Amino acid sequence: MNGTVGGTVGGTVGGRVLREDAWGKVLGQAAFPADVRREGQIYAVAVRSPHAHARIRGLKLDEARKAEGVVAVLTSADVPHNGHGVLYRDQPVLVQDHVRMAGDPVVLVGAETLAEARTAAGLVEVDYEVLPGLFDPEEAMKEGVPALHPEIHGSTNIVYHLPVCKGNVAKGWAEAEVTVERDYQTQMLDHAFLQPEAVLAYVDERGHLVVEVATQYAHYDRGEIAHALGLKFNQVRVKTVSVGGAFGGREDISLQIMAALMAWRTLRPVKMENTREESFHSHSKRHPMRMHYKTGATRAGKLTVLEARIVGDAGAYASWSPNILRKAAIHATGPYEIPNVRVDAYAVLTNNPYTGAMRGFGAAQPVLAYESQMDLLARELGLSPMELRLRNICRVGSETATGQVLTGSVGMEECLKAVKSYLGEVSAR
Amino acid sequence: MKIELTVNGVARILEVEPEERLLDVLRERLHLTGTKEGCGEGECGACTVIMDGKTVNSCMVLAAQADGHAVTTIEGLGNRGSLHPVQKAFLEEGAVQCGFCTPGMVLSAKALLDRSPHPGKEQIAVAMSGNLCRCTGYDKILRAVERAAGEVKE
Ligand code: FES
Ligand code: FES
Repeated sequence: MNGTVGGTVGGTVGGRVLREDAWGKVLGQAAFPADVRREGQIYAVAVRSPHAHARIRGLKLDEARKAEGVVAVLTSADVPHNGHGVLYRDQPVLVQDHVRMAGDPVVLVGAETLAEARTAAGLVEVDYEVLPGLFDPEEAMKEGVPALHPEIHGSTNIVYHLPVCKGNVAKGWAEAEVTVERDYQTQMLDHAFLQPEAVLAYVDERGHLVVEVATQYAHYDRGEIAHALGLKFNQVRVKTVSVGGAFGGREDISLQIMAALMAWRTLRPVKMENTREESFHSHSKRHPMRMHYKTGATRAGKLTVLEARIVGDAGAYASWSPNILRKAAIHATGPYEIPNVRVDAYAVLTNNPYTGAMRGFGAAQPVLAYESQMDLLARELGLSPMELRLRNICRVGSETATGQVLTGSVGMEECLKAVKSYLGEVSAR
Repeated sequence: MKIELTVNGVARILEVEPEERLLDVLRERLHLTGTKEGCGEGECGACTVIMDGKTVNSCMVLAAQADGHAVTTIEGLGNRGSLHPVQKAFLEEGAVQCGFCTPGMVLSAKALLDRSPHPGKEQIAVAMSGNLCRCTGYDKILRAVERAAGEVKE
């Protein structure tokens, strides 16, 4: 098969291996979900809420149903179990009455061609009662603020709180001779994988529902599709075709259940393809985090204490937020030994786009805070940032804030020494 | 409306809609799905094809504008038995990750090497600047183009 190109170069271990799927990709043969088709396929388009928080008072679907080429117009009433989610099933397949973020899907239109489906989707009328939105997680976590998911998460918008405690914080402050206290904030990010979501769903010759999709989590998709449609697991098959980038953004359900629902209802193969704009509305984002950090050290440049409060904006649905804020809490001290620690990490629901997995999974955001604190402390102490770090980094035998004793593979010191010469000017700052 | 164009060396006469894009003609009518749609607004380059020797974003070209022109898509380049030097270089250099940008990248590189067989780093960077990649960080892609330049016979 290799034709003009060689295979492995060098030995089995440490050799260079050609990536097998790269062949189909350089030749333009690799099939992404938008590239697969079935005879007789129809197209489905979701009507999404333009409002971040609203009650739905009513739907007018007659015009859409009468439109040229329309095969079916589906609403929440057509979904047997209207919920999905990796940790909590708090996200509706199609919103029944409570819109919690801009982009929430409300109505699904299926038609013979994509153009007809888009035209008919434009004829759907949704009567929204726009509600005041919660866009600030620190507001949303206050007592007495309306809860966004009372039936699943109770009377609070805090879906997760993890305290991490080590040593004795009061003792740490008593020992501290220098203190740096600051607030940090990171922004929301989109993965912007290059291939917008697309799905092909159909009922095969055995009566099984087949869903071809670019996903990071095929077995989860299968369970959620089966659950939402009231099917058995073995009636649903999820086939992962080529995945055009993901970076965490394909760990939740996007179009899978909607396409499956349309196929199951109409018994026609159903294609859904997001535009780039729809893609922004239909997958998670990176958690923006607000981080309040207070760090103490001795004049000799030894860290004695850290107190931190991290608030992650979960957006409208929990997705992976608990796991992500857990990771933020665990990594809050960075690669430094601090004997006395108190960290409180929270994930808070708001009406912002929902946030979930993205490269680093909550470990990336606290870096801004703990490394900035080190630089500011170094300045206070008149030490180079490099020197302060060398006096506090984790080494073999160090204990992390969660009590893990590091028994090996701690490369921090070697790494710092290796980059030192490149950092000449920075270290002297 | 009727258009006549050549796609990968084959003459085609097609009946198209006035609002149809070249991208739609390739993907939906001719099933040449190697040409990808990443944004639909001329930003990402995933839909790059070569029209009369020059790269274009096929999402920004109306089917009618392709009337009378010659279009090359990724399917027109090589096959498993005989890869185009750019395809070979991408494979060997490890310049392919998810692969969604790859067809457009390969075509941009081919168009560059066709008009300038020995481009400098700067020229390569400029020629590839219309193609976004979210996976690789570009380094290996740029090296693959250099590698291909070394192998392309004049
Ligand atoms: S799809 Fe044409 S430039 Fe992005
Ligand atoms: S390899 Fe994924 S976008 Fe380039």
